[in-house]
Amino acid sequence: MSTERNSGGAAAVVVATVIGIGLMMGGMYVSLNVHLGFVEAMNKSGIPFDPGKTVSMMGVLLILFPVIRIFFIAPLAAAIGGRTSELERTFAEAEELRGEMTKMRSEYEHRLVQTEADARERIQAEIKKAQELGQALRAEAASHADELRRKAEREIEAEKNRVLTELRLHVVNLSLGATEKLLGENMDSATNRKLVQDFVDKAGAAR
Amino acid sequence: MGGLFTLGSSLIAEAEQTHEGLSYLGLWVNVLFVLAILFGLMSYAKKGLNERVFKNPITQGFEQVYLFIENMCVVIIGNHGRKYVPMVMVLWLVIFTGNIVALFLGESPTADLSFNFAMALIAVGYVQYEGVRANGLFGHVKHFAGPKLGGVLVIISGLIFVVELISEVLKNVSLSLRLFGNIHGGHVAVESMNKLGEPILVPYGMFLLPIKLLTCVVQAMIFTLLTCVYISLVTHHEEGHGERHAPAAAH
Repeated sequence: MSTERNSGGAAAVVVATVIGIGLMMGGMYVSLNVHLGFVEAMNKSGIPFDPGKTVSMMGVLLILFPVIRIFFIAPLAAAIGGRTSELERTFAEAEELRGEMTKMRSEYEHRLVQTEADARERIQAEIKKAQELGQALRAEAASHADELRRKAEREIEAEKNRVLTELRLHVVNLSLGATEKLLGENMDSATNRKLVQDFVDKAGAAR
Repeated sequence: MGGLFTLGSSLIAEAEQTHEGLSYLGLWVNVLFVLAILFGLMSYAKKGLNERVFKNPITQGFEQVYLFIENMCVVIIGNHGRKYVPMVMVLWLVIFTGNIVALFLGESPTADLSFNFAMALIAVGYVQYEGVRANGLFGHVKHFAGPKLGGVLVIISGLIFVVELISEVLKNVSLSLRLFGNIHGGHVAVESMNKLGEPILVPYGMFLLPIKLLTCVVQAMIFTLLTCVYISLVTHHEEGHGERHAPAAAH
């Protein structure tokens, strides 16, 4: 494409140059040899005009347009265009980076919020867990205390019963001893013991 | 060699006979002088094109001219106006350099009606060429007849056609005479004012330099701006066609 354009441009330069040289030569001939009436009249009226010069200068300009375009304007336009496209690319990259930064910032903020929420949730869960553990420990302690209390009560009751039994036995023995001493008679020990025991039981029941 | 000498002698003789305006040889000398300055500046400016940011002041100046002309072309002609930038810029550079030379020298190509007329012919000829390219030969010629009128009003179309043709021809005259009048008139004004100050040895004409400098820029701009307007008038259908055809192409 570029090669075609270049070859087209070169052809245009060649054509323009050929026509331009022709016009320059023709203009010179006209300027030197052709004297037109209206030109004389114009010159006399203060309007200096020479068609030969005009034709020659048309030739110069025809050559000049492509030459200046190729020599200077095309490189200048390419340099300006290149710089503009480079600036546009740099701006686009900066814009892209800004977009990425914004996205990263948004993600970071989102992650931060998420992390905070997770931490809060975890803390709440741990607190709840600790509360449950505390409750369980308290319940267990209370249960253990109850158990200990019940055991102690049972032991107290058993001790009390044992002591009462011993006391009764002691009372019976004392009563028997006292009774033997009072009555002075030799009684069947087993029978007496049963009688006293019944008495004591009745007395305990009545109490 | 002898032929060249004869040619040179005849040109010089012709130059001596010319009392008004530049002689043929004189114009050539002036044009070559202007082109030498222009190519010298462009060569110098070209060295600064390789830099990422143009630091060379001449390159910066040319860059500003390019951007100014590109902007002018796009604003006046439309988006397709960028392709006319080289042509318009060459015109601007030649006219502006010629005008600047006219500030310091008594003669300049742009102070010569024949040179200006050549530029006008090239500019208007290019406009016609672009018009034919944009609308076709028949479309471009039809364009001179104005809007399509029916019935008896066809006579008006004929009149418009004739008027438009005269107008097209006179575009050359107006473009060239305007530039010639301003630059040559500036010279005449400076000479006249200098003559006024001769008795007291004060060159009053130098006080006209600032306004002449302004004229240099303004005249270059007017010539190129009008060329853009003429191009716009004959090619403005292109975008309209493009816009109308775009949806169809999309289908």
